[in-house]
Amino acid sequence: MTNIYHSKPAQWAVYLVFFAALGVIPLFIDDAFLLNQFSTYGVYGMLALSLALCWGFGGILNLGQGIAFGLAAYGMAMTMQMQAQDPENDPIPPFMLNNSLDHLPWFWEPFWNTGLGIFLALLVPTLFYIAFGSIMFRSRVSGPFFAIMTLAMLSAWYTLILDIQPYTNGVNGITPPRALQVFGFEIDPYSSTSYWVVYTALLLCTIGAKLLTQSKFGLIVQAVRCDAERVRFLGYNVAFYETVIYTLSGLIASIAGCLWVVLVQYVSPAQMDVTFSISMVIWAGIGGRLSLIGAIIGAFLIQGAQSYLGDEFLNTWLLILGGFFIIVVRFLPKGLAGLLEIVLGRIGGSPRSKSPDAVADGKLVAAGE
Amino acid sequence: MGMLEIRDLNKSYDAIHIINGFSLDVTELTLCCLVGPNGAGKTTTMDLITGRQKPTSGQVLFYGDDITGLDEHEIARRGIGRKFQVPAVLKDLSVRENFQVAYSRTTNPLRNIFKFHSKGFERKLDEIGTLAGLNERLDTQAGLLSHGETQWLEIGMVLMQDPRLLLMDEPVAGMTEIEIEKTARIFNQLKKTHTLIVVEHDMGFVREIADVVTVMHMGSLLAQGTISQVESNPRVKEVYLGNEVH
Repeated sequence: MTNIYHSKPAQWAVYLVFFAALGVIPLFIDDAFLLNQFSTYGVYGMLALSLALCWGFGGILNLGQGIAFGLAAYGMAMTMQMQAQDPENDPIPPFMLNNSLDHLPWFWEPFWNTGLGIFLALLVPTLFYIAFGSIMFRSRVSGPFFAIMTLAMLSAWYTLILDIQPYTNGVNGITPPRALQVFGFEIDPYSSTSYWVVYTALLLCTIGAKLLTQSKFGLIVQAVRCDAERVRFLGYNVAFYETVIYTLSGLIASIAGCLWVVLVQYVSPAQMDVTFSISMVIWAGIGGRLSLIGAIIGAFLIQGAQSYLGDEFLNTWLLILGGFFIIVVRFLPKGLAGLLEIVLGRIGGSPRSKSPDAVADGKLVAAGE
Repeated sequence: MGMLEIRDLNKSYDAIHIINGFSLDVTELTLCCLVGPNGAGKTTTMDLITGRQKPTSGQVLFYGDDITGLDEHEIARRGIGRKFQVPAVLKDLSVRENFQVAYSRTTNPLRNIFKFHSKGFERKLDEIGTLAGLNERLDTQAGLLSHGETQWLEIGMVLMQDPRLLLMDEPVAGMTEIEIEKTARIFNQLKKTHTLIVVEHDMGFVREIADVVTVMHMGSLLAQGTISQVESNPRVKEVYLGNEVH
């Protein structure tokens, strides 16, 4: 394997350059709106990262990552909403009064405390992923069947949140009036502070995910993707592994959900819409689901393109995106990162291309699997 | 001493009986070949031992412990390794990575998250790689190996687990004569230190390796003994050897 694409030091070097580049962006951008937009791309990058982990490395296609994202986003929005309420004079958020609630619902109470609120925003989706994942994986639901189950579960959550309007403000969602305050410090969404918060989260999640894929755990998860039966007979509890990777990927999406609300001060059932969760899969798919950084860049590219070209083409944009996705699935199953792998393989592998191995290698990469 | 005891095992789907009161004792450090015509229930027996299928009734004892109905990974952890009929290797991963996965000393995922290198792996890899003849191929993607190499890789992976009992389902299927000879050498070496149950159709290969031959027919035990005893058994001749199909 002479392909530099597979060299671990080279991979870490690429991560270093990537994050260094992201780190200098705020130095060149004065436009607060643009910086906020870039920060949201960082959040989308985390979502794509979470899917690369679960789908790319674990082989678990999750069409319902909006569950973790949405639940965490609601938790964060509730925390921020309660920061704007006063326990003495004004304990009930205005939308509840409009829905004629005369007391604060019990499950809103913990969100008076900011620390506890954020903790719950991450804990609730994580516990849900552990429960749902272990039920599914223990009964050996996998492949397309699991994907359909996540889709169904996402729709169930969407409907639930939409339906209990007095508690969640239904389709209008929650719009906290103030930016998040942490330790008396305000995280203004239109400032470099929020950019750095997102940057740090993306950096830590990426390093964590990269280390995870290089650990023994990461290797076994990839082995499960190849042949779960073989791994089971080697003495590993496959359902346990699947639940862990699914939950860790959900945790990253939960962190993304929290940060997203910090940036946009808004959450609605639209964040748990099927379209949004499918978009995450498309980002990871186009960027390269077997490459963490590829998936992140996929999210940047597509969301960036959508922000600018989407205005230009309106609804046609979705057709363009769909067409692009079909091209990638057909010709580049490993996405743009796979394209890089082929190119680097051609450059690095040329001296020994005469050996039968290298020829077979080349063919295999070209075929994509 | 019976390391593995199968007692009156039954498996049926509705009215179809796959395994019919099958019993078997396997002595430690012997190589037992399980033969029989297609549909005799050989692979199902392996499934029942390794937990892939649950028996309708009967017991499987391993070193005296009842392992009937345990999950596959629990049985594997007790020291029963299995090679599948259709070679199952991790095709996307390199040969080395296949061996790394098979080196299953720590099986808890939460502990493996923080594991980047396994103690004793390199020494074991050297030993198994030499035995399986794959030391030159460690960095090759497993999906690119030849059929024979794939079979050896899977045998090597099972050995990597350090099992006390090895179940091999048709290890030489599809191999060339030279490859079969090499596999016979590997097995004759293995049976000095391991207990093996080998399902095989190739009687030539069975003759080379078997200590005990067990013949199955219609889900029951038909005959058991040394190869010459079994071959001269008139009932065996009738159902199996007379119309031997490779």
